[in-house]
Amino acid sequence: MISPPRLDAVPKVTGKARYAVDFRAAGMLFSAVVRSERGHALLKSIDTSAALAEPGVVAVVTGEDLASLFPRFGHIIPDHPILATDKVRYLGEPVALVLAEDRYAAHDGAELVEVSYEDLPVVMDPEQALADGAPLLHTTDYGVGDRSFEEAHSEPRSDNVCHRVELGWGEVDSALARADHLVETSTSYPMLYGYAMEPYNALAHFEDGYLKVVTTAQHPFMVRDDLARVFSLPLSHVRVTSPYVGGGYGTKSYTKVEPLAAVGAWYTGRPVKVEFDATGAILTTRADSARVTIRSGFDSAGRLLARDVRLTLDTGAYADNGPLVLSKASNRCFGPYRNGNVRVSGVAVYTNTVPSSSYRGFGAPQVSLASELNMDQAAEALGMDPGELRRLNLIPPGERHYPGKRPMDADLVADLDLLLEGLGWDEPTEKHQGIGFGVTASDAGAFPVSTATVKILPDGSALVATGSSEMGQGSRTALSQIASRELGIPLQKVAIAQSDTHATPYERTSGASRTTTLTGLAIQRACAQLLSRLEEAATELKGGAPTEVKAAEGMVVGPWGDLSFAEVVQEWFGGRLGELSATGVVRRVGELQELPPFWEIGTSGVKVRVDPDTGQVFALRMVTVADVGHAIHPEMLKGQDVGAATQGLGAALFEELVYDGPQLINPNLVEYRVPRASDMPAEIVTIVAQRGDGVGPYGAKGGGEGTLNPMGAATAAAVARAIGRWPDRLPLSPERVWRLMRESGD
Amino acid sequence: MGVLPPFRLLRPTTVSEALGWVNDDRMAYAGGTELLLAMKEGLLRPTHLVDLKGIDSLRQVRCAGREVAIGALVTHTRAADHPIVRDRLPDLGEVLNRVGNPRVRATGTLAGNLCFAEPRSDVATALVALGGEVEIASTFGCRRMAVEDFVVGPYSTALATEELVTHIFVPVRADLRFVYLKHQTTERPTLGVALAANGHVSLVVGAVGFAPQVFRWDSLSDLDPSEIAGQVEVVPDLTGSEEYKRHLVEVYLRRAMVGLDGRS
Amino acid sequence: MIGADIMEISPEINGRQAVLTVPVRMTLAEMLRDRLGLYGVKLSCEMQVCGVCTVLVGGQPVSSCTFLAVDTDGRRVLTVEGLADGGRLHPIQQAFVDRFALQCGFCTPGFIMMTKHLLERSSQPDREQIVAHFDGNLCRCTGYAPIIEAVQDAAGKLGEVGS
Repeated sequence: MISPPRLDAVPKVTGKARYAVDFRAAGMLFSAVVRSERGHALLKSIDTSAALAEPGVVAVVTGEDLASLFPRFGHIIPDHPILATDKVRYLGEPVALVLAEDRYAAHDGAELVEVSYEDLPVVMDPEQALADGAPLLHTTDYGVGDRSFEEAHSEPRSDNVCHRVELGWGEVDSALARADHLVETSTSYPMLYGYAMEPYNALAHFEDGYLKVVTTAQHPFMVRDDLARVFSLPLSHVRVTSPYVGGGYGTKSYTKVEPLAAVGAWYTGRPVKVEFDATGAILTTRADSARVTIRSGFDSAGRLLARDVRLTLDTGAYADNGPLVLSKASNRCFGPYRNGNVRVSGVAVYTNTVPSSSYRGFGAPQVSLASELNMDQAAEALGMDPGELRRLNLIPPGERHYPGKRPMDADLVADLDLLLEGLGWDEPTEKHQGIGFGVTASDAGAFPVSTATVKILPDGSALVATGSSEMGQGSRTALSQIASRELGIPLQKVAIAQSDTHATPYERTSGASRTTTLTGLAIQRACAQLLSRLEEAATELKGGAPTEVKAAEGMVVGPWGDLSFAEVVQEWFGGRLGELSATGVVRRVGELQELPPFWEIGTSGVKVRVDPDTGQVFALRMVTVADVGHAIHPEMLKGQDVGAATQGLGAALFEELVYDGPQLINPNLVEYRVPRASDMPAEIVTIVAQRGDGVGPYGAKGGGEGTLNPMGAATAAAVARAIGRWPDRLPLSPERVWRLMRESGD
Repeated sequence: MGVLPPFRLLRPTTVSEALGWVNDDRMAYAGGTELLLAMKEGLLRPTHLVDLKGIDSLRQVRCAGREVAIGALVTHTRAADHPIVRDRLPDLGEVLNRVGNPRVRATGTLAGNLCFAEPRSDVATALVALGGEVEIASTFGCRRMAVEDFVVGPYSTALATEELVTHIFVPVRADLRFVYLKHQTTERPTLGVALAANGHVSLVVGAVGFAPQVFRWDSLSDLDPSEIAGQVEVVPDLTGSEEYKRHLVEVYLRRAMVGLDGRS
Repeated sequence: MIGADIMEISPEINGRQAVLTVPVRMTLAEMLRDRLGLYGVKLSCEMQVCGVCTVLVGGQPVSSCTFLAVDTDGRRVLTVEGLADGGRLHPIQQAFVDRFALQCGFCTPGFIMMTKHLLERSSQPDREQIVAHFDGNLCRCTGYAPIIEAVQDAAGKLGEVGS
């Protein structure tokens, strides 16, 4: 398809696009959060008197004030207190919420809140947390959150394990024993901050008996569920809206600051705004760091015989989506290779650090660093070309690499060939230069539940309603394009309403690269039903056999001639009024019974140059291949791919949250370094493979995350080829690369 | 969202009026790029800001004999764009064009940069190598001091409580050969190396330690990069360990020497 | 107590004279957003690094997150809302639309204002100049490539208009 202008572009270039942070309400209170200054401590007392005496301060809310509510949230394990009660579990955890008439009084009041603590020993990494006799972060049974997450851990705890996954098939030990080559790779993936540029914020107020929240959330319906539980409200009485979302990347999946704003509104009876700066956002949610060890056995021809993987994720102080990140990481760590013997043992561990959650790629970047580097190292051990080793082992289309899951719906070898050609893999590289690449497949799409409504209005224009959020990925445009094409009416006559739990139909999430495929499918189904409704209405009005009446391309055609959609609606209702509507539903049935709905393919690579004196790494060329079945909007797709790969490059070269004891030492954008324009390679090649092999509209399947997943391994391999030594951890800071070079005597 | 703590604003129109106000709690304020940030972070809590921007006499760049005088209100951008700086101090202009980012350069002043004494700064390093001086006013009169002596440590200068920097003087030396190189992979430089030669050789190593470190020789051939790398004071941080930073010093000294040779 | 904690100021904002009474501790971003509803001015890092709060004051780009509102007294302030001529997009805005130089759009106003400043200083910047000019502007979505193309595109179009 061609790429029309983005429907959100004009509002965004003129400054008119409204994000959650731009919303205000009459009588609204501003807020400031008092944060824990300890990593792990009992809360002895909170003295709010001086703060309350500050002019303009209206209230100070603490955990104790929430006793009559369900004072926690968490969609898998509801372990996360809205405000710390009894104890704090990480430095930066919200302890009190100061509410005031303006932002200045809120700030000044927050400085006057006196908190006294009794320190407890901290565990700052999984090793400490899993040691015998380690202090426990959580000792209570929180019960289970959403039962569709089977991962929940509900027994009282005797250790700091948040979640465990054991999976596998075949006979791993015997397969490894008979292997000709054993290759073991251990890696560390850094603790990251996704940095959506609009920091977490929410505006909450109670009105007409409803709790209304405007927030920068990817999944408003899941936020609704958490909020309803806090206040024991029917789901129908919580209205969550997400206007334009200023960056998501998974970091705005699930509930974050909405309960804080809501309890502020509940406590004061006034609208309450909570808005964080980037530091506040870093102290809210980060991405899991990971240690992974993978042992692979190959026969003498290079065929993969078995993989044994152990992985440990640092989940931080609260579960958030950690259990699901672990289960995804466990699904994604053995690679899209034909392999009869797999064993994965994963653990997600509570530590006294900022809670972690999903971030673009969702476990895959963490584990692919190990699994794809392992393929490269195996190729070296076997004396094979790393592309050839992968071609030999990649799962062919239609075959299963994971028992019980959907067969591979992509041509991975063809994708790899496109990638290697783009990278110039067969061309010689100069000294201190190297090329790296990787191939991954993620079980994407999440749980396939979507609903969408499409209406034809009496002037023949169409209105689409979906609970899917526009966070930059382009859903506003792509979903409108699908409705336009299905109904046969111009894009200019299609409007779309998004992400309002009162006004738009249910959407599970805007994540896991699912929107175009699954929401698109729901819209396609809604359009098909709507066309039937138009045909029925026209038949009722004009007569004719149902088989003779056909709605398509903006017209209803029958034996009596043509009627425009506008004419049908107007005549059926008797004037310029009414509307015809239909709702399309996607459930886990039929062709979506088998999970995942699609495999999201990650095929990307990079060519680098290493400064031999300083170890600084410069990216020269970046290549992405999108394997999406069908590109609804090729330009937006390419933009997603480059953006994802760039985030991968950031983790590979620059990004890492660093703790010194309980203190995060770089919780800001001065010290936490994300890619800038000057870091980008001058050559960027974006390749789109369209083979119509997806379950979505026109054979589409999801994209937009995949190209991130191999970038860590790709960059590490490129550096290895430039300097002659394999890195085992990211980011590849100049000093790390320099030290590797010294070890290799280069 | 970060909020500035409360303070009051004073707006003098003359240096003497300003001198009547500044003290430990009433801080001089011009561009505010460092100061307002530190206040927002809660690191500084002045009761008053003494806004110097109404003092017209501090706005100028002018020739003063064999020197160029740069007023305390002159921003990095304005200095770099100024015809006098372009003509007589092109080396300084080049350094200024690479400070921070365009907004920092457009708002922040050279004098403010020196007074804040952020160790990871380009401006102090370059000015020390160029033989720059600051003019300091107090109610007792004016004194001049080499930038080298002015910046004494991290966030620490020789400026007394009730003094103000009014001008920066930089000598114009037509025969000067000058190189400034920096290693910068994050928001602030990890290392800045300024090498200046006209008869004598001055080397200033900045950003890597607590303050710019100065070395002087009669000839470039006396400069031994590995010896200097072993000698300089180095503060490890997220951008590198002590060992790595010493290595960087050596690498960049060699590069600076090559660069200086390339300059006629 | 000496000194003012509240001041009356009269800046010109997007071509219109304004008179405002503001606390001296109020930042320019707070004034533009909280007082004037100019929400095109965004806030993110609040440390002058990300550039989303960029506006032009007296033609110079500033980080409005750490710039006092009172310092705009008697000066011209231009925000992204002041660029379009009625319903017609400024050529820089049009170039960002045409080149798909945005995704979430949160950084876009800052990039556009920085581009305006760049093209006033240098009408046909090369890639290196553009990249250097964006040293203080972060985009987390696009990987920058389309933004750089949009700047070159806008430079070309503005060049045609100027010649």
